[in-house]
Amino acid sequence: MSDGFAPGREDGGGRAVAGVQDGAGGPRGFGRRRFVRWLMGFSIVSSLAMIVTPIVGFLIPSRTSTAAAGGRVLAGTLDALPVGSGAVVAVGSKPAIVVNTATGVRAFSAICTHLGCIVAWDGTTNTIVCPCHDGRFSPATGAVVSGPPPAPLAPLTTTVEGNDIYIVTG
Amino acid sequence: MTADVQRTDAPGGALGWVENRLHLGPLIGALLHVRIPSDAKTFYLGGITLFLFGIQVVTGTLLALYYSPTPDAAYESVLSITSDVEFGWLIRSMHHWASNLMILFLALHVLRIFVQGAYKFPRELTWIVGGGLLLITIGFGFTGYLLPWDQRAYWATVVGTEIAGAVPLIGPTLLLLLRGGAEVSDATLARFFGIHVLVLPLLLGGLMALHLLFVHQQGLANPKRPEPRPGRTTAAHPPERLKPFFPDYILDEVIAWYAVLAVLVILASLFPAGLEPKADPLVTPEHIKPEWYFLAVYQLLKVVPETVGVVAPVALVLVIVVLPLFDRGQEILPRRRPIAIACAALLLVGLAVLTFYGAQV
Repeated sequence: MSDGFAPGREDGGGRAVAGVQDGAGGPRGFGRRRFVRWLMGFSIVSSLAMIVTPIVGFLIPSRTSTAAAGGRVLAGTLDALPVGSGAVVAVGSKPAIVVNTATGVRAFSAICTHLGCIVAWDGTTNTIVCPCHDGRFSPATGAVVSGPPPAPLAPLTTTVEGNDIYIVTG
Repeated sequence: MTADVQRTDAPGGALGWVENRLHLGPLIGALLHVRIPSDAKTFYLGGITLFLFGIQVVTGTLLALYYSPTPDAAYESVLSITSDVEFGWLIRSMHHWASNLMILFLALHVLRIFVQGAYKFPRELTWIVGGGLLLITIGFGFTGYLLPWDQRAYWATVVGTEIAGAVPLIGPTLLLLLRGGAEVSDATLARFFGIHVLVLPLLLGGLMALHLLFVHQQGLANPKRPEPRPGRTTAAHPPERLKPFFPDYILDEVIAWYAVLAVLVILASLFPAGLEPKADPLVTPEHIKPEWYFLAVYQLLKVVPETVGVVAPVALVLVIVVLPLFDRGQEILPRRRPIAIACAALLLVGLAVLTFYGAQV
């Protein structure tokens, strides 16, 4: 009973006495009541951590399922996409916009850098436009021309083989 | 002794049979005793919000019997509820309109409490818990919006979760937790459905019980005289006139509920909830708009940098929730709180302007 803890009077003594012992027990070491309180606090915190950790882990989705596979995807043909036109195509599970400009075929991620809406080709102004907040991008570089988007569209690599347009990923 | 008296005074019939066994009389008597000053003007806004929540529980439970929370089946199940199921259009439209009215009446309730200074001593905790209820109600609107899985639902959720993802520090994790992946997908639909029908109702039910408990303990605020504070002298007032909570106040509430129910049925009948084309993750429709209560934030994001557009509304909501902790003056009359009233008016005008421009095509 006396190995570092406060005297055993705490067991049968009144609460006030125990409280005094706690306060005065500092220099003599770790009072029993204080130790029990510390143990209880530790138990509560560790129990909460034990409950919360698997719940949070369960809620965070596996990142492997969102990884994009590499490869080539047929994005269209030059016949279907004459100069001055553009189209949104699916590259795996992600949308891309392919534009046939006077300087060649360009492709960008079709996800607007502002709030994630899918951009579209606007043939009247020859720009890539986001329908949510009217952000506009250059078809040549993907740079922001006007509106709130904070960054240009992410460029994708394209190759043209004969009449076919491919987007290279990965 | 009390139990003996109750036993003796118990009514006959089924009520008496129950009372003789459970002795609920004193408990019910205590629950039906709430201090209602005759000068109190609540406009029944809180009670109507509670009633609308009840409507949501009933109609939501019915809808869940037919709804399938998967991307392949969600749209078709909502279509089936609307066109095939008997009274399905009415149940769905009432759920739709009650959600909008619930947010409207909750906002009016908050405004009433603010103008009357009823968030001040001793009702600070009631206000803070009410702030939690407001956030949960908005969460209901946000999660429920995706469930029909049409174009409007899908893209409003894409934009809404992107906004959550732009919160500094925790944004990316929050985005991943909300969506259950990088994109809005079947995982998002499953999560939103689970949150909408299980997590939020439990949270709202618990907080609402706490909110009502506080109101029960403190009674309604008198908008004409502040509550006396311990240790401070207050001006002498004539004795406060009270009116019975039951049946007087309750009867007024029930009449208001019937009026709201009538409005709800009329709105659901004349303007039934629609359905846009099925969600297409490759095409964002032109002029996509969120629900009216998110339009101000949506428009704000068009005119200010993304971080500002996200942080400002979050900070504003936090300030409103903890308002009683720093606005501790004793004055409750609006004419004696010019700065607080001016700030609120400015905020309302700002929200109205942003909402107006956000609604423009």
